[in-house]
Amino acid sequence: MRGPGRALPLLGLILLWEVLARATAQSFVIAAPTAIAAHLATHAELLLRALGTTAWNAAQGYLWGNLAGIALALAAVSAPRAERILSILALFVFCLPLVATGPVLRVLSGPGNAPQVALAALAVYYTTFLPVLVGLRAAPQSWFELVRSHGRGPLAALWLVRLPAALPYLAAGLQIAVPAAFLGAMVGEFTGAERGLGMLTLRALRGLDLPATWAIAVIAALVSGLAFHLAGRLARWLDPAPPALLPAAPAGARPLRLAGPLADTVLALAAGGLLWAGLMELFALPDFFAKRPGDVWAFLVTDAQAGAHRARLAAALGQTLAMAGPGYLAGLALGAGLAAGLTLRPGLAGLAMPLAVALRAVPIIATAPVLIWALGRGAAGTVTVVAVMIFFPTLVACLSGIARTPRAVLDLFDSHAAPGLQRLLWAQLPAILPAFFAAARMAVPAAILAVTTAEWLATGRGIGALMAVSAATSDYAMLWSATAATGLAALAAHGAVAWAERAVLSRHAAEQVAR
Amino acid sequence: MAERRGGPSSASGITAREAAPDILLQGVTRDFGAVAALAPIDLRITGGAVTALVGPSGCGKSTLLRLLAGLIPPSRGHILVGAETPDALRRRAGLAMAFQDAALLPWRSVRGNVALGRALARRPRDPRADEALIGLVGLAGFETWRPAELSGGMRQRAAIARALAAAPELLLLDEPFGAVDELTRERLNAELPPLWETAGATVILVTHSVTEAVRLSDRVLVMTPRPARIAADIPVPLPRPRAEALAATERFAGICAAVRAALRSAEPAAGPR
Repeated sequence: MRGPGRALPLLGLILLWEVLARATAQSFVIAAPTAIAAHLATHAELLLRALGTTAWNAAQGYLWGNLAGIALALAAVSAPRAERILSILALFVFCLPLVATGPVLRVLSGPGNAPQVALAALAVYYTTFLPVLVGLRAAPQSWFELVRSHGRGPLAALWLVRLPAALPYLAAGLQIAVPAAFLGAMVGEFTGAERGLGMLTLRALRGLDLPATWAIAVIAALVSGLAFHLAGRLARWLDPAPPALLPAAPAGARPLRLAGPLADTVLALAAGGLLWAGLMELFALPDFFAKRPGDVWAFLVTDAQAGAHRARLAAALGQTLAMAGPGYLAGLALGAGLAAGLTLRPGLAGLAMPLAVALRAVPIIATAPVLIWALGRGAAGTVTVVAVMIFFPTLVACLSGIARTPRAVLDLFDSHAAPGLQRLLWAQLPAILPAFFAAARMAVPAAILAVTTAEWLATGRGIGALMAVSAATSDYAMLWSATAATGLAALAAHGAVAWAERAVLSRHAAEQVAR
Repeated sequence: MAERRGGPSSASGITAREAAPDILLQGVTRDFGAVAALAPIDLRITGGAVTALVGPSGCGKSTLLRLLAGLIPPSRGHILVGAETPDALRRRAGLAMAFQDAALLPWRSVRGNVALGRALARRPRDPRADEALIGLVGLAGFETWRPAELSGGMRQRAAIARALAAAPELLLLDEPFGAVDELTRERLNAELPPLWETAGATVILVTHSVTEAVRLSDRVLVMTPRPARIAADIPVPLPRPRAEALAATERFAGICAAVRAALRSAEPAAGPR
């Protein structure tokens, strides 16, 4: 009975889709399921080969990215003094737009699949690093005191307490990493690969091939969703009762001061600059495309044309932020708002949660071409891509935040027969806050990725387009400058969100900040 | 010390040994920032005896216990267990502590947590002794259960079994029976003392229950709130083993009354139980 019962709504949905597509056939936006199926059938071999390429790139990037994330987290936890600097550096690299790192890696490595693998790794390491770091630190003080009280040292604490405590967090990170790796590999293919689903997407977009664009999005969504599901099974096998996952803002033991984080950021950026220059010298990369920090400085500050360079960069960055900002806020507001609304109708929440979780498995970027197609190459399309990219993770985070409202608190409200709205405002919304802010922080790099990818693929405006043009015209000084500027802007936005988070949570959920 | 730990082992896994050394506190204070948690404390705790610390909530009993465990250093003064510091004792696996919140590792079963006590103390595996300890604290049949599936009292009992599995010379119990139901508490009060008597361990016990303090200990120390000091030092010269019926005797009631009176004068607002 269960099988047909579950398949029925799906069949209805497909039917609705078909009807909608046929009704709007003139506007050339939605490809009908039958058209997609026809495309899949006629191009099965091509698509399968492309899928194999993309999946293989994604799998390699998944492996390396996760290993890097785990190694970074272990390094951060074993050198607590360096933890903040490591975290900022890791975040900064994660905030670099893939559409810029892609072409750079492409020039560095020549043809082949190294950039796709590297981009897939870049897309996953941070979302593994953060939860694993939290997991390694998540154990209550008394567990460490237990180890210490028997005279055992940090190694025993790592082996007996930290690693097992981090396991469920790692499992969650590994699951989130699945669509991210797929997404990274596809963006890597956008930036000049010869094979793979990303390359086919570009071709379909340029050829205005509606069924092909949709077909690729559907394949990417299905395969990534399946892999996500399998990773979830693995996670449940590792730990049948996972803890509440709340990757808190990287927090040291230091009190909330502005000077501390600022100094750390400056230190981290200095370390990043050294790493940047050092790696280039180490591998003796040619000046022509491997611009050093000094070259970027010259390009933007001391060069005769520096003023013009700055103006171009600032204009592009301004356009981008004008798209990313509203999309970011809209995505957050819609996600949190829908979660709150669904709470008042618990029955609906039960329906929405699996759907939202399922959609989280979709590499949203794969749907960007479809969205841009639907909404046009103007502001609406770009803002929507950003908002959609952020909406689903926020919704899932907020719904699970609500689900974690302490049972005793809800019982208290029930014992007074409090109306649903009061329950929501006084009990459940405060319970959402930590999850909401965690989502808001992670949404910053996501927004940057979404907006630059949309600009790169379609709109021809903003920093993404500037990067595309710079890469195509070998204007590497501009490409590096744009990349660094975007990374810095993302870092600043992330810092602002983290600051707001600490300010709010220190009042509403002190136990979350105390970590 | 090593030969002691490798010595003959009873069925419960507790190793018999000579009487433990006295513990000496001289001018021990502990500050947290600007707050003085402990006033200078001078104290001699007899080795092999059971000492109970009672006092109002938040008066610094747990701080004193953590100082004795070597988990935090005193701000001033020093503590010696025999000839060594608590930190040295801790480092050679000579002490065990049962924490107020049980501090069981949630991914380990009851059996796994008890075995952990032995492993942390670098003692060889001994599943049969672990079973015996689990049975002793009344958890037989729950060996494979995870902490999340246990009640609060069961968790605390598992934590006590884990501490005993380490065969410590100094056993520190931070409100170990706080969440244990009355009947089980009675049973543990009767069954645990012979265990640590055999072991010759020094036991320091923090509790809120006056009758429990008198029932279990050779001496009750009543503490005042911040900055904590020892307000009263009441000996409990009752014979052992102490049966439940002892609690009905006049002598027992007299000692309890003395402890209650000391508590009342230490903290007028806090009514004793």
